[in-house]
Amino acid sequence: MLAMYQNVFPFLLQGLWQTFVISMLAIFFGSLVGAFVGLGRARGNRWTVRGFGAYVHMLRGTPFLVQIYIVYFVLPTTNLAVFQLTSFQAAVIALSLYTSTYVAEIVSAAIEAVPRGQNEAAQAHGFNGFQTLWYVVLPQSFKMMMPPMGGVYVLVIKNTAVLSVIGVTELVREANVSIQRFPSFILSVFLLVALMYFCYCYPVLRLTRWAEKKWGGLHLNV
Amino acid sequence: MDWIFSFYNYRVVAEYLPIFANGMWATVWISTVSLVLSLIIGTLVTLAHMSHRGWLNRSASAYIEAIRATPLLVQIYVIYFGLPVVPLLDWRIGALQGGIIALALNSGAYMAEIIRAGIEAVPSSQTESAMAVGMSYRQRMVQVILPQAFANVLPPVLGQAIVLIKDSSLLSIITVSELLSAGLTILSERVMPNEGFLTVAVGYLAIYLVMLVLSVYTQRRLGGIR
Repeated sequence: MLAMYQNVFPFLLQGLWQTFVISMLAIFFGSLVGAFVGLGRARGNRWTVRGFGAYVHMLRGTPFLVQIYIVYFVLPTTNLAVFQLTSFQAAVIALSLYTSTYVAEIVSAAIEAVPRGQNEAAQAHGFNGFQTLWYVVLPQSFKMMMPPMGGVYVLVIKNTAVLSVIGVTELVREANVSIQRFPSFILSVFLLVALMYFCYCYPVLRLTRWAEKKWGGLHLNV
Repeated sequence: MDWIFSFYNYRVVAEYLPIFANGMWATVWISTVSLVLSLIIGTLVTLAHMSHRGWLNRSASAYIEAIRATPLLVQIYVIYFGLPVVPLLDWRIGALQGGIIALALNSGAYMAEIIRAGIEAVPSSQTESAMAVGMSYRQRMVQVILPQAFANVLPPVLGQAIVLIKDSSLLSIITVSELLSAGLTILSERVMPNEGFLTVAVGYLAIYLVMLVLSVYTQRRLGGIR
């Protein structure tokens, strides 16, 4: 039993590190894209609202597992050089796109939750559209975004587990490999993996709850 | 038109249509069964969570936290591969049963949160008025609180149902045959990822749109009541 742990643990830690890296990259790029899409939905013209709306629904309406298969298997068949992706690149792209839809919903909801009077007051002071957004609306909506954003980050971390299907060497993949070597310890290995995910996600969940108490929740169906 | 044919060969899709239809049906019924089970689990866990007995309360929140902070895929693995190796238990379950149990347990934790939030959103004056007219705990719950909580709960439950349907695609990893497995079949038999996965994506989008229309409709109806 102890020998098993000594053998398996370093690999699992390596997997956990990879999970951490991928989730951080996806959170970063996903938040960038999502902020853009959310702004387009809340403040854009008719066409950006519709276009980004379709984008969000397309990604919300399909399972993440299908999305990762499409990015990894379908995109390369277009024969375009940009889409010849390694599994790591495909993983980061798919997870970032997935993250962006949730971030977009939060950003647009938070912008719309700022009272209308604030916009009107800024315009009465001669602020243009960008100034209104940057100096008046965003500072107020930023706090509202924080609690649901924490929830999305937990979601992203948990979804990295699915990336094991295309061979990204993250935590679940390392566990699967370890189980090939120690088949009789399958339950112990997966419980250890679950514990590792718990140690990563639970603090974020607690932080989210704390932020919610402090700044109030934005009522969203995420 | 030649490139379309080489990118997405619809004749192959037509050939595999019965497999896709079966997969679609499997996804629908697996999700429905898991949804019903998760609502039952969610209600029981909520009752435990709201009880005054400390150990019940604590174990309910431990369950919710444990589910919410770990990936569904790991939960599926633990239940499907893990339970049969527990000594003395020797509980052999098929992929389908294991998958449904994992989905229901996972979704049950989220349902518990939704139901609790729905009950807590009923104003406390409702409880107080019910007490003032001399209603017992059971009467208060059944006749006053729960009907109002139901209206609060319905929209987020539909949202969670959408999540559950999408999550059921993970069962293809443990060889349950559902919608995504139909796509994987084309991939392994014909090496045609486009025909497989794009068709599957359209199938999930169709289910999603139906659920979306349903949730907009119920929201409108409930908006009329309040």
